[in-house]
Amino acid sequence: MARVKTQQLESLIECLHDKRREDVSLADVLSLAEITAQSLQVFFETMDTAVYREMREIAGYIERMRGEIGALQADELKKNRIPAAGQELGAIVKATEGATNTIMECAETLMAADASDIAAYQALVQEKMVVIFEACSFQDITGQRIAKVIETLQHIETRVTRFASAVGSSKGAAFVSDDERKAAERRERLLLNGPQLDGEGIDQNTVDDLFSKPTPAKQPECSNQSSIDALFK
Amino acid sequence: MAVDLSMPVLVVDDYNTMIRIIRNLLKQIGFEDIDDAADGSAALNKMREKRYGLVISDWNMEPMTGYELLKEVRADPGLSKTPFIMVTAESKTENVIAAKKAGVNNYIVKPFNAQTLQSKIQAVFGD
Repeated sequence: MARVKTQQLESLIECLHDKRREDVSLADVLSLAEITAQSLQVFFETMDTAVYREMREIAGYIERMRGEIGALQADELKKNRIPAAGQELGAIVKATEGATNTIMECAETLMAADASDIAAYQALVQEKMVVIFEACSFQDITGQRIAKVIETLQHIETRVTRFASAVGSSKGAAFVSDDERKAAERRERLLLNGPQLDGEGIDQNTVDDLFSKPTPAKQPECSNQSSIDALFK
Repeated sequence: MAVDLSMPVLVVDDYNTMIRIIRNLLKQIGFEDIDDAADGSAALNKMREKRYGLVISDWNMEPMTGYELLKEVRADPGLSKTPFIMVTAESKTENVIAAKKAGVNNYIVKPFNAQTLQSKIQAVFGD
């Protein structure tokens, strides 16, 4: 198609060149218009095909995205699964708080009890021990609740991962809201790392060792045991 | 210098249960004058009203963290000498070193036991 277009343009240039020094008649103008129209027709045909192909691709993409958004089940997540997981977590907090309070009340009662009457004191200890055992039963129920929350998280993870893969989001910069950015900055500035998993943090003995030695000028990395060991060489 | 059990102690934590645990452990050790605050700024206000012999603070609190409280205390000429123990779940080396540089007297990693708390208090007071 490009070759045809070039031929048309060459005809146009030739025609203009021949007529440069002559008066231009209506027939010449029509002739030029015809040649121009022919050359542009090729251009429009090319453009139509490209635009049509792109529009088809966009329509296909939108169709695929509709399918992926449907597969996300965002409405179901928002209405059912996430609120249910929130309720489970709330119940876990309440149960652990209740159990902790019960156990601490028992301990405080025993600490404050008069031990001069051995028999009465023994009976009180027995009674409070039973209450403590009962309070510890929260662990079984909270374990089951945590399993349900984990299931919800896995459900969300599967769908979000599939959606991210479909839209190719890993290629672009991750979206971070202003609030998230500020929270991340605060965590970094104030060293709010939170509790570490087993093997990630350092124990009390290592802390004590750090206090018994001069503080290093350069803050060391401390993500694993070997880096911690390096502090003491 | 022996630990003066009559000195007022300020426990700073945003978790009521932890305040209760530390309070009970301090009572077991023999302390009687124990106050508490839910974050760094509340603690700072209390410290400017009452002279405490010891501050035991969590790290991660809102709006003011224990780390910020420590730096505020050390920067305030009237409070700068107050013994300060950090009791926290922040167990990365960078946290311990940052607290040490900011002037903390000792550092306890949660979860901890009564013996650790007592030994750190004794260490701060040179017992």
